[in-house]
Order: sequence, then C-alpha cells, then structure tokens
Amino acid sequence: MPHQPFLAPSSAGKSMSPIDRSVLELCQCHGISRRRFLEFCTAVTATLALPSGYAQVVATALSQKKKPVLVWLEFQDCAGNTESMLRTSHPTVEDLVLESFSWEYHETIMAAYGKAAESALERVVREEKGKYIVVVEGAIPTADGGVYCTIGGRTALDIAQEVCGSAAAIIAVGACAWDGGLVRSGPNPTGALGLQGAVPGLNVVNLPGCPHNSANTAAVLVHYLTFGQMPALDPLNRPLFAYGDIIHDQCERRAHYDAGRFVEEWDDEGARKGWCLYKMGCKGPEANYNCPTVQWNGSTSWPVKAGHGCIACASPRFWDTKSPFYERLPHPAGFGVDVTVSEIGWTVVGAVAVATAAHGITSIVRDRRSSEPTANQASEKTGSKEQQSREQR
Amino acid sequence: MATPITPACTPDGLAKDPERIVPIYVWELPIRITHWGLVALLVLLTVTGTYMHSPFLTANGSRAWVMGWMRFLHELSGFLLIAIFIPRIYWFFAGNHYASWRSWLPHTARQWTSIKSMVAYYGFRRRKPFEEIGHNSLAIFAYIAVFALVAVEFITGLVLFSAVEGSRVLRALVGWIPRIIDIQWIRSAHFLIMFLLIAFFIHHIYSALLVGISEKNGEMESIFTGWKFVPKRLVDEVSDAEEKGTAPRRKPGRRPVRGKR
Repeated sequence: MPHQPFLAPSSAGKSMSPIDRSVLELCQCHGISRRRFLEFCTAVTATLALPSGYAQVVATALSQKKKPVLVWLEFQDCAGNTESMLRTSHPTVEDLVLESFSWEYHETIMAAYGKAAESALERVVREEKGKYIVVVEGAIPTADGGVYCTIGGRTALDIAQEVCGSAAAIIAVGACAWDGGLVRSGPNPTGALGLQGAVPGLNVVNLPGCPHNSANTAAVLVHYLTFGQMPALDPLNRPLFAYGDIIHDQCERRAHYDAGRFVEEWDDEGARKGWCLYKMGCKGPEANYNCPTVQWNGSTSWPVKAGHGCIACASPRFWDTKSPFYERLPHPAGFGVDVTVSEIGWTVVGAVAVATAAHGITSIVRDRRSSEPTANQASEKTGSKEQQSREQR
Repeated sequence: MATPITPACTPDGLAKDPERIVPIYVWELPIRITHWGLVALLVLLTVTGTYMHSPFLTANGSRAWVMGWMRFLHELSGFLLIAIFIPRIYWFFAGNHYASWRSWLPHTARQWTSIKSMVAYYGFRRRKPFEEIGHNSLAIFAYIAVFALVAVEFITGLVLFSAVEGSRVLRALVGWIPRIIDIQWIRSAHFLIMFLLIAFFIHHIYSALLVGISEKNGEMESIFTGWKFVPKRLVDEVSDAEEKGTAPRRKPGRRPVRGKR
C-alpha cells in the first residue's frame, strides 16, 4: 500500500500534526536516522549545485520548524505529477520535505470534498495572502471562456488568476502546467496553455517533465526553506540546477555514442550490451534535464538506463516537436504522415538528377540531328559561314 | 557545329580578326582557392553530417571513436566554411571584374539579355548558350541561392553547436533562435539543405560541362588554371557593355588580354 504522508486536516490535533514538526523531526518519527537525513541534505545541496559547505545550512534550515502553507491546484491533467510524488513504496526524505509544508488543498488526496474543500482554498487566499506557495499541475484551457475545465463552478483560468495572483511563490510542475503539454499538442481543441501562457506576468518556477521529478521539486522547496527564495532560472524559467545541461552530456551510454556503437534494433546484441540508443530515436541530445544524475524511483533508474530512448519530456512542446519518439527527426507537415526529411531530400536530389539526365540526353539528340543538315548547308554557302555561326549563338 | 574560320592566316590578318581566340585570366587565385576549399569542405560536411544523422559505420575495438571523429571533423569544417567566406567576400571588392559584386548584380542591358538567352537555351529554344567570359548572369541566381543556403547552414549549425557547446558569446548570438523555432525543426532544416546543396552540385557540374562543350572556351579547365579562351570580339563586347551600364566604369580584368601585348 502506498505511503500517504500528506494532508493531515488542519483541524486535527495540533501536537500530532506533521505541520508542527521540522523535517528532521518527521524523519525521526518515520524511523529515518539522523545520518540518512544528513545524507539527504548533502545530496540536495549537490543537486542544487551549491558548494558543499551549504549542506550544513540546509540541515539547519530543515531542522527548524517552518510551516509555509502550500496549495496544489490541478487543472487539465492526468494527476501524473501527483502520482509521481505519492507512489513511493517507503517514505523518503523528499516526501517528508513535502510533508513539512502545511498542505491546505490538494484535490486528489485531501479528505474534505465539495463546499468544505473549496472553502479551505478560499480561506488560504484570504488569510495567507502573499505568504503561501502554490503548486500548479495541468494545463489551463482558454477557448470558449475556459469552460473546458471548471472546478466548483469556476473556470481553471479564474482560479489560477486568483490563487496565483496573491501567492508568495508559484511552482508549475509537469509539462502541462509549463507549456500546455499533451493537452496543448495539436489540434488542441480546448485552447489549452501552460500557466505562464494563460496568466501572463506571474513569477513562475517551471519544473517541466512528464511527470516532474519529485526530487527536483523537493530541492526547489528546500532552497525556498533555506534561503527564502527560488533558485536561479534559465530563460524558460526552469531551475538551472535541473535543466542547465543536456541529457546527452550526462548520459552513462555517452561513451558508446562517441565510439560509434549503436543499438540498431530492440533486443539486438547492442541493446543487451547497453549501447547508445541514438538510432532508436533517443532525444537525449536535444533534451535538458538531470535524469541521468538524479534518476527516478529513489535513484533506482531512469529511462535510458532501463533501455528506452529519452523522449525529451522536459523540452518545449515535446509532444509536437520531439515526436516521432523512435526517429531522429520530426516528419515535416504537409507531406503526409510517414514522410521523413530524408525521403524529401532524396526525392529532390533524384528529381534534379533525372531532370539533368533528361536535359543532357535531349541536348545530345538535338545536336546529332542538327549537325548533318548544318554541315550540308555550310558546304553550300561557304561565304556566309561566319554570319551563320553568329546566328547560332 | 560550325567553328569560326579565320579569314587570313597572315600575322597582320590574325591581329585584326575579331574572331581570333585570346586567353583571358578570369578566375584569380583567391577565387580558385575558395572554390575548391568550398568543394572539399562541403563534401566533408556532407559525409560527416550524414553519419551524424544516421551512423552507417559499425565501430569495432575498444579504442573506437568514430562518432567523436565525425563530430570533430564536422564542427571543424563548419567553422572553416565560415572562415573561407571571409576572403571570398573581400574579393567581391578587391577582385577582378569576374569576381566583383558588380558581376553579381544584373545591372547592364547585356546581363538581362544574358539571363533571357540562357533561359531560352536551357529550354531548347536557342542553339548556343549566351557568350560570357565570367559567370553567366542566370547562373548568378543559382550562386546567390547557394550562398543563401550556406548562410542558413551557418546559422542553424551554430544554433545546434551552441546547444551542446554553449559559449556565452554563441548563446547571446543565436540562443534566442531555438526559443522561437524548435531545435528539431532547426536540425531538420540543417539536414534538408544538405540535399539541396547535393542537387546544386549535380546541376553545377552538368551546366558547366554543357556550356563548356558547347562554347569550347576551356570552361572546365578554367577553374583549375584560371584562364579561358574566348574570341577577341567577345572581350570588346563585354567591356563595352560594362561601360554602357549603370555602374561605375571598370576594366574587364586586372590582367585583361595577354594577346594585346
């Protein structure tokens, strides 16, 4: 049974509520040793690309009792980011970092429902104005007044504008909340957009990926708890520590790429030997993420390690731009479904070659046919040879 | 195919004969070097680029570094390709008439006649190609297209290079491009243009052969030696046309006619 660490209702007994405890105390509660806690602090310091001396700062911050209020909004989504965070077989320190926040609202896992649930959100916006953290999961539809996603009679757009507008910090988790993800991919009937697109002007920290990696989300929250601000961002508002490098440069199969050893077919010898998945359409060379170093499921594995190419799930509009996932390049629009760039290119070259050959043959035939009568005429009219040769030019 | 016959074989008659063949130094050394440099680099870029798109060699041995070499050569020759355009562009201004930017702009009546005549020639509505010493004015359009395609290859190549090897300067120059056009479409364009350059390669060799055979002016040899052999009449025609043109006067060549001296 999955561990369910979150959301003791805020009305529960205060002494037993997780929100009263620091991350360190929560660890001790769950039988996680202080050594393991310090290991986590070191690891998250490394994940954030901070100097190692900051591990102590992180440990001190996580030992103190802070309980920022956190609300989690779900819009057009599959709850995959929630699942990514919840589906841990045993509690990790990352989970407990998340648990140390006061989770006031999360549709999937909160006990309250209906009016009571919505009033909890209203209360946070009213009473904690400018102090709470909001995490957004899922895209926001904008077509037809945003009617394609409504919660409690309000559109997603309306809720996002109100709740995000008065938040201290905003985190968009997953591809959908970032740039619309699957929901926005063509033909996008609901006019879905990511949070930044739907509500312009917000200071959003994007944690794209399908789903987000909860280790990165925990690291962002640790950064916030420790320093009171969000980590450094790239031009797409993704934290540099997680999205600063391409997968390809961190990949454990990279040496096979440089050597020229590639998997040609699934389950061939190369696949069994762990060779590079480049020819199977791996998008590692155009994907920015830290999967190879942080990995998934408690640092067990990640897609390329498990034998499947990267699909660049943390790249902009990846459903549209990075598919087909098992081919090197996208198929250009307007040429039919299965036509590749190579086929278009070779067709152009072939057409030019054929046209050239046809032109060459026609020229030869023409010259052969015309050479005989010209020679006859030339012998008859020797006086006008020069004039004739000029006419031909 | 009638060949011009000289009316008299005396030295005096030969000197006056407008149809006498004179050697002309057309392609100066910088032009020939940049031309063959372009050929070598484009061939190297095509081979390595094709491998990088779809590796066709199987690496063997524990010390293999095939993709590493291919990428190294591709990136190196890409930058050399950019570098080789610098002397070529300089030679637009410093070179002789046939290398000058003026010959690349159709600004004289003769150039427009040349374009129309060459269209007619390729369409089999004319027996002989329009006589030219340097580039024919229709071919200029093909070269402008090729220069433009190579320029797109520069830019897309730099974008792809900056994604893996981002220096700050390079990111500042081209880093904004993949935020507008996705990197996969940039990569597709970079790849597709290779085919257009291969198509140009076929056309270029063919048309040079066709015109060279038809004109018998040493067209194919000229890109190795620099010299072409044309009637004296044509030299005068070209220099008259340039004087009548809208552009400032300019001599047809730096070392125009060997036969004159």
